[in-house]
Amino acid sequence: MKINVKLIATYQNLLPVGTSGNTIEIEVPSGSTISQILSCFGVPQDDTSVIVLNGLTVDLNTPVSEGDTIAAFSAIAGG
Amino acid sequence: MNGWHGKLLRVDLTNQTTSVEDIDPKVCRDFIGGRGVAMYYISKEVDPLVDPLAPENKLVFATGPLTATPAPTGNRYMVVTKSPLTGALAHSNSGGEFPTWMKRTGFDLFIFEGRAKEPVYLFVNEDQVEVRSAAHVWGKDTHETTDMLKAETSDEARVACIGPAGENLALMASIMNDKHRAAARSGVGAVMGSKNLKAVVAMGNKNPDLHDPTAMRDLSVDTSKNVGADVKKGSNMRIYGTSYVPQVTNTLGIFPTYNFQQGTFEHTKNIDGDALKNQYLIRHTPCYRCPLSCGRLTEVPDGKYKGKGEGPEYETISSLGSGCGVSDLAALVKANYLCNEYGMDTIGTGMTIAAAMEMYEKGYIPEGVIGQPLKFGDHDAMIAMIKKMATREGFGDDLAQGSYRLCEKYGHPEIAVTTRKQEFPGYDPRGSQGMGLLYATSNKGASHMEGDVAYEEVFGVPVKENPLSTDGKAELVKHFEDSFALIDSSGLCVFVAIRYVFSKDRLIFPLRLSEMMNFTTGAGYTPEEIMKAAERVYNLERMFVLKAGSTEDALPHRMLHEPLPDGPARGKVVELDKMLPEFYQLRGWDEKGWPTKEKLEELGLTPNS
Ligand code: SF4
Repeated sequence: MKINVKLIATYQNLLPVGTSGNTIEIEVPSGSTISQILSCFGVPQDDTSVIVLNGLTVDLNTPVSEGDTIAAFSAIAGG
Repeated sequence: MNGWHGKLLRVDLTNQTTSVEDIDPKVCRDFIGGRGVAMYYISKEVDPLVDPLAPENKLVFATGPLTATPAPTGNRYMVVTKSPLTGALAHSNSGGEFPTWMKRTGFDLFIFEGRAKEPVYLFVNEDQVEVRSAAHVWGKDTHETTDMLKAETSDEARVACIGPAGENLALMASIMNDKHRAAARSGVGAVMGSKNLKAVVAMGNKNPDLHDPTAMRDLSVDTSKNVGADVKKGSNMRIYGTSYVPQVTNTLGIFPTYNFQQGTFEHTKNIDGDALKNQYLIRHTPCYRCPLSCGRLTEVPDGKYKGKGEGPEYETISSLGSGCGVSDLAALVKANYLCNEYGMDTIGTGMTIAAAMEMYEKGYIPEGVIGQPLKFGDHDAMIAMIKKMATREGFGDDLAQGSYRLCEKYGHPEIAVTTRKQEFPGYDPRGSQGMGLLYATSNKGASHMEGDVAYEEVFGVPVKENPLSTDGKAELVKHFEDSFALIDSSGLCVFVAIRYVFSKDRLIFPLRLSEMMNFTTGAGYTPEEIMKAAERVYNLERMFVLKAGSTEDALPHRMLHEPLPDGPARGKVVELDKMLPEFYQLRGWDEKGWPTKEKLEELGLTPNS
C-alpha cells in the first residue's frame, strides 16, 4: 500500500536525494508501523523528534493504512 | 546592588523635566525586574480606569536584571503600559541591541508620564539626560528616524522609536528598536505617540555589577555551549528562524487561514521557510549576545516589492500570509518591511485586514466604503490597506482601530477573532486546546507570548503534549503563564530560556535560571521562590486587568461555535468550559476569576495592590 512520509525543515535532509519538496510517497507492506517506516529514514524516535500520523499524536507502534501521512520534525530549538 | 542598578529615570514630558529615583531593593527582589518591576510602578501610579491615550497613562521601558550581563540572550526589555487596544494591560517584549544599551545608561527603568506639547525624543548617555525636539523626525518612518537620530547623537547610540502608525495613534502601532526589532503588541506605539514621544536614544558604559562574576561567566559559557551543540546538530531555529513553523502548523491543521475560517492553507509551500531561504535570505542576524541567532536579513532584490530588512517571522507569515490568503512571498516580505517601517504589529495588522477581507467577501462592508475590492489573496490590496492604516486615510481609519472595533462597527462582531479585543496569533486553538485557555485568560489579550504552551502541544519542547486534549491543560497554562512572567522579568529571550535554563520536565522548572539570577544579583532565590515571585507578578497584573473592567475570560464566537472545517482538528471547537473552572481553582481565584483574599495574602499583595 502507498503512504506519504513528510519530513519537515531540517529533517528534509533525511529524504532520498532528489526528492522534491518535503514529502515522498512510498510503498509499504500492510501492517507496517510508524516506527518501522521512520527507521528506514533514520528519523530519531526519541524526544528530540515530533512525529504525527495524519496530523494527530499517536503511538509509534500504530500500523499505518493506505493513504496515511506520517510527518516528523526536529524538536531541537523549536518554537 | 548587583544585576539591578537600583535606579530609574522618570521623564515628565508635560514639563520636560527628568528625575532620578532609587528602586527599593525589596521591590526588585519581589517583582524580579523587567515586566514585574514595571508592573509594580504601573499598578501604584496608574488608575486602571484611565484613558490609555491620555497624559495620565504612563509608559514604562524596563530592562531585567540579566539584561546586559554575560547571560546568553540577556538582551531584552519590556514596554509596559495601559493598552489602548485592549483597554487592559500591555507588556511587549523586544531584543536586538537597544535594551542592552538602555541598561548601560545606568538605569533599569525609564518611566514616561504626561504629554509633551511638541514632538520630542529622549537622549540618555549615562548622566547626560536631555529631552530634545523631534520636530525634524516627526512623520519619518522608523528607519529614517533611527538613521537621523544616530547621525545627530552618536553612532554608538541605539534607538527605539515609533513610525507614522504610532504618531497617528493606530491601535496596532509598535515601538521599533534597532530598525527591525519590535515591542509590537497591544498598541504600545500609540501610547508613545499620544505622549508626543518619537524616540528614545540610549548609550553608556555602565554595565551592571555582578554578585559572582566568575560563576556567572562559567554558567553563561556553559549555556552557550549547549546552544552551540544543538546548532551544530542542525537547529531549525538557526537555519530558518521561526519561518519553518508554517509547515508544522499546517500539518497539524492549526495554521490560521482566511481569518481562521480554515486550519490549513493550500499554498503553504509558497510562503514557508524553504521558499524564504531559497529566494530572499541574505544572512543570519542575532540579537546582542545570542548564540542561537534566529534573526534573518532578507532582500527582495528587484520588482515592485523590492526592499531589504529582517524577517518575516512565523507570526507575520500566518497573519499577513495565510490569514489574508496571501501566497505571493515577495509581496508578503514587502508587507513585513512596511509594517516595520511604519511601526506596526504584524499580527494586529494582518488579522485586522483578514477580518476586513472576510467582511468584504460576505458583503458586510461595501466596496464603496473601502474604496477598492478587498478579496482574500489580493496581496496588492493588502499592501494598500497597510499604508492606509498607518496614515488613517479613508477606510484606514476604521482598520486602525483593530479587528474587534472594525467588526463591531459594521455589525458583525462574530467575525473578529480576538480576546480582550486583541487579535489571535498563529495557532488555531481549536486544534491546540491549551492555547485556547491561554488566549482566554491572558492578561494582555490573545498572545502566544503570555505562556506559550504551543511549545509542548506543537513543538514537543521539552515534552510532547496532545494538542487536542484538554486534560492537564489548566495546570500547564498556569505554569507557563508564570514561567513566561519570570522570563519577561529576567531580561532573557524566551526562545533560548525555555530550552536551556529550565528543566526538561513537563512543568518546566527554572533551575539554571534561578542560578543565573543568584550569580547576578545575590538575591539567593530558590527556584520555588522565584516562581512565587513570577506568580506575584501575574496576579498583580490580573488585578489591574480586572479593575480596568476587562473581567471576561471569553473566546470569540468562531472558536466556541464554528468547528474547524478541515485538517486533523476538523470538527473541533475550543472546550473552554472543560478547562476554565479548574484553571481558576489552581490559580486560587474565585469562580468569577478574581484572586481570592487568601491568594493575595500568600503572594504579599492586597486587593488595593
Ligand atoms: S533567539 Fe532570536 S530573538 Fe532570541 S535573542 Fe536570539 S536572535 Fe534574538
